[in-house]
Amino acid sequence: MDWRRSLRRVFLNPLVTKDGLSRMRSWRAPGAIALYLGLLGGFGVLVLRVALGAGGQSGGYTQSGGYAQIGSAVFTAMAMLQLALVCLFSPAVAAGAVSAERERQTLDVLLVSGVSPLSLVWGKLVASVAFILLLVVAAQPLFATIFLFGGIDFQQFAIAQLLTATTALAAAAVSLLFSVLFRRTLLSTVAAYAATFAGTVGTWVLGVILTIGAASQRTGFPELNPLMLFNPIQAMLMILQVPVIGVTVPAARRSTTLYTGLAGLVVAPPVEPWMVTVAAESVLVILCAAAAVLLLRGQRPMPWSLEPRVEPVHPGVEPQDQPVR
Amino acid sequence: MIAVEGLRKRFGRHLALDDLDFVVPEGEIFGFLGPNGAGKTTTIRILATLARPDGGSARIAGVAVDRDPYGVQRVVGYMPDFFGVYDRLNATEYLEFYGACHDLPAPRRRRVARELLELVDLTARASDQVDTLSRGMKQRLCLARALVHNPQVLLLDEPASGLDPRARIEMRDLIRELRRMGKTILISSHIVPELEELCTWIGVIDRGRVVEVGPKADVLRRATAGQRLRIALAGAGDDRLAAAAARVGTWTGVLDVEVVDGCLEAAIGPDLAAHRLLRDLVEAGFDVAEFTPLAGSLSDLFMRLTGDPEPPARANEEGG
Repeated sequence: MDWRRSLRRVFLNPLVTKDGLSRMRSWRAPGAIALYLGLLGGFGVLVLRVALGAGGQSGGYTQSGGYAQIGSAVFTAMAMLQLALVCLFSPAVAAGAVSAERERQTLDVLLVSGVSPLSLVWGKLVASVAFILLLVVAAQPLFATIFLFGGIDFQQFAIAQLLTATTALAAAAVSLLFSVLFRRTLLSTVAAYAATFAGTVGTWVLGVILTIGAASQRTGFPELNPLMLFNPIQAMLMILQVPVIGVTVPAARRSTTLYTGLAGLVVAPPVEPWMVTVAAESVLVILCAAAAVLLLRGQRPMPWSLEPRVEPVHPGVEPQDQPVR
Repeated sequence: MIAVEGLRKRFGRHLALDDLDFVVPEGEIFGFLGPNGAGKTTTIRILATLARPDGGSARIAGVAVDRDPYGVQRVVGYMPDFFGVYDRLNATEYLEFYGACHDLPAPRRRRVARELLELVDLTARASDQVDTLSRGMKQRLCLARALVHNPQVLLLDEPASGLDPRARIEMRDLIRELRRMGKTILISSHIVPELEELCTWIGVIDRGRVVEVGPKADVLRRATAGQRLRIALAGAGDDRLAAAAARVGTWTGVLDVEVVDGCLEAAIGPDLAAHRLLRDLVEAGFDVAEFTPLAGSLSDLFMRLTGDPEPPARANEEGG
């Protein structure tokens, strides 16, 4: 396959068109969009009412900066919910990308139709993420209304959306890998949800426990456990300057905290934690996509592969073999 | 056009292909015949670049399947025995999608889809969603899909399986039409009469080895080399038939004699001159009313070549 064809497949992948067409013709697509926006909007209104109620009782929202606090609170709540929703939607969309092709017996035909494993994985990943990004984009008007209250600057808004998008991409890539690894969509979906939960909520809770444990043994500013620096929940909380474990990490301390936690260095370039998270998620996407391609190529038998090396039960039965690439 | 040499494939302890050799000349319809589990599907999957051989070589139009799979995919159209279709795509979009996979430019894709739907007689269903088509229509659509990049070679694995008689005839006519268009076609099947009628070359595979291969006429000639004779005696009772059977059985070159439906059936070797046997019976006083060589058929050959006892586990297996 020459490089021009490969390049064309990056931008004009027929699988993206086909999957997009198929998906958008189903009632599930508008249903998912409606559910997503409904949950996000409903939750935003709920938080707004609570914040306005709390502010009204204390008379806080009429004071200077009161609306900004309300805006910040609503935006934070919605951004966190959006992160949670993309983590829920991504496995649902991507975990069946390849296993469903196998189940409906279209994978073989696809693999002999000039579609390379790389092109297949890329097309499936883009098709899955495109739908999640559609959800994120569709929610932008909801977020835009929060700007009326103030309390959120554009940089925070943009970084929050970027972090949401890369988290969606990472969750989709992990789900896609499971989709290649497992023959059954049900199994790959369960594994994808388990991995996404472990990689987000699991590592965050573990990180909090480890940080609290470390903080109890020392005085002064608590060092965040390095595990939390790779966690999108923690990165989002820090972008939105939400206090975690009783402290808000000041911007000036973030980069130092990062490097102290990682390598014991004191002086470090100004790297924000969200950058580490985005970089880690990008690496995860590349690793998962590469593993998926190698599995599809069938050239790297992996000892941990859950695809059994199929052998006939009786002489004469011909198992489905891995494709040659 | 297709050259397979010493092809080997093993699944665990089971040797699926054991030094498989055959060639398919250009423009022929090659019937790949064998019982379930003989290695047909494995061979076709290797030729289609979906499986890797453990040894030997296979070339299609001069391109080695294990060295240049994309080169092979450009010249091969593959139709598997079991396949699915995408839901929420109509027949035209289905073909256009595969056209895009083969890098056909958009305007050509549309034209090719239209022409192929016409070829497989699905123009009237062009806008119907593919999952609503009947089994026969899906088979024809899948064949059209295999033709979307105008391949020189078609690999059809059990193309008529699960079809009703009408759909089978339509599929057969379609395959003949494709041959007229210059395609080289390899069809696997375990339905002998279907291949006998359609194919110009025959290859019989059993337990991973080719046991007979060549032009259909040559294969059938070889099938009749050791022929069977049917001998009817006028007004003969059981005693008379038994006496005639005993006399026929004394001849060198007669392999077996049995009484079937009031007549004798004798299996004779290629060296026996049948007319001398007839003269001997007449001179011995038997009133020979019928003395007919039974026509050799591909079915006979298939049964003879693949007739070894099989392990009990094979009896209910599907696929080939």
